[in-house]
Amino acid sequence: MATKAKAKKHGQSAARVTGAATADKLYRTSKVYKSPKKITVANLPPMYSRADLEFIGVDHSGASYEARVYLNNPSADADTQAIEANGYAGSYYIFGHGGCFGDVGHCEIHQRDEFDPRPSHPLEPIKKVVIATDAIKKAAAQSADISVTVVPVIMSWTEKTDMTDVMKFDHINVVTYD
Amino acid sequence: MASLIVRKNTDSLGAAELAALRAGYAKAQTIMDNRGYNHFAGIHGIPNWYCWHHSHTQGSNVNANLFLPWHRAYLLYFERAIRDQSPPTPKVGLPWWDWTSNTSHSVGVPHAFSVATAGGQPNPLFKARIVAPTATPPINRFTRRFPGNPAQLPTAASVNALLNLTQFNDFTSQLENIHDFVHGWTGGNNGSVGGDMGSLGTAAWDPIFWSHHCNIDRLWYLWQLKHGVNNITPNLLPMVLQPFGLKVQDVLSINALGYEYAVSFITL
Repeated sequence: MATKAKAKKHGQSAARVTGAATADKLYRTSKVYKSPKKITVANLPPMYSRADLEFIGVDHSGASYEARVYLNNPSADADTQAIEANGYAGSYYIFGHGGCFGDVGHCEIHQRDEFDPRPSHPLEPIKKVVIATDAIKKAAAQSADISVTVVPVIMSWTEKTDMTDVMKFDHINVVTYD
Repeated sequence: MASLIVRKNTDSLGAAELAALRAGYAKAQTIMDNRGYNHFAGIHGIPNWYCWHHSHTQGSNVNANLFLPWHRAYLLYFERAIRDQSPPTPKVGLPWWDWTSNTSHSVGVPHAFSVATAGGQPNPLFKARIVAPTATPPINRFTRRFPGNPAQLPTAASVNALLNLTQFNDFTSQLENIHDFVHGWTGGNNGSVGGDMGSLGTAAWDPIFWSHHCNIDRLWYLWQLKHGVNNITPNLLPMVLQPFGLKVQDVLSINALGYEYAVSFITL
């Protein structure tokens, strides 16, 4: 059974919105990440066998990058060694779209309705999961609020890639399992 | 009765097998119709964008992660197309690139794919021409590759850890994450532009793409051996893997698809 704690509520996340115009706007815009985020973990169960950091609504339209995740290390940056002593909890990786190589509007995401037989738009924001059991247990033992610092390290891109604000996502969940 | 195609490690191909593989790739790279390399590479990203990564919905609210089934069907069609263009003997399957091996952690991209020439000819496993006239802007150039530090490639320990995951959705999510890293690592950059493996739109033109995905498919097969061939979310089974016409339920057994993975292979 899973238990969730949320980093920060941004209203409805993109995937859960069902309205029309507003939903469509939200759907195509992951939020630019501002580091670090605070997560309250006081309500997590005392015992769990696994804990994940779920990154929800991750944009993957641009560069390919590594997102290094540090707990309780708000000053972590690209030069910080990715080791446990620095609060390193793991990384997720984005295989980026590389920018838009279609005509105008090709990479605009519009929600499909339930009768639309086509797969959802390839650039629909995604979920990334970092299994970080030991790091979360260690950080949670330090304080009731843990800070999550995510450092993007760009790996590859194209001539069409927008290199500003490469890392965007909506929110972070902490999910624990019995 | 036809025998199963044996897919081998890139580093265990014999000289004649490697020559046959190169001949098949080279011939396919000269064909611009729907039998050719350019056609198959263009299914993944530019200009057709059929590839399935991460989770999508399709005609329902089901969150479907078809990353593994879709790429299995893709490799199957590509492998058949390459074999059509290969010499009659030896007929080889797609080789898999084990990026966890000691050799990979020393040299990175396998030697067969990293040398610019072979036998006095351009090596068709080193690069391929991207011909995408409908892209904006149109693309007509050879692929480029700027791989990273070999020591950073995924370890056997990290792969073994994910093979122990018991839920399909969990396994495919974590395997795709490693896959994403290898794409970025292999494409890399030269400081001003990235390599093609690092961007979804052009990745399938780089000849190493197919052996990278062959290894991903092999790891799924190893996971299936451990956790069950039919271990997949049931409501995914009837979903069609466009444009191949196969359904998810059709691609669960690699033996039913006519191939297998060999760790070693000796002919007496």
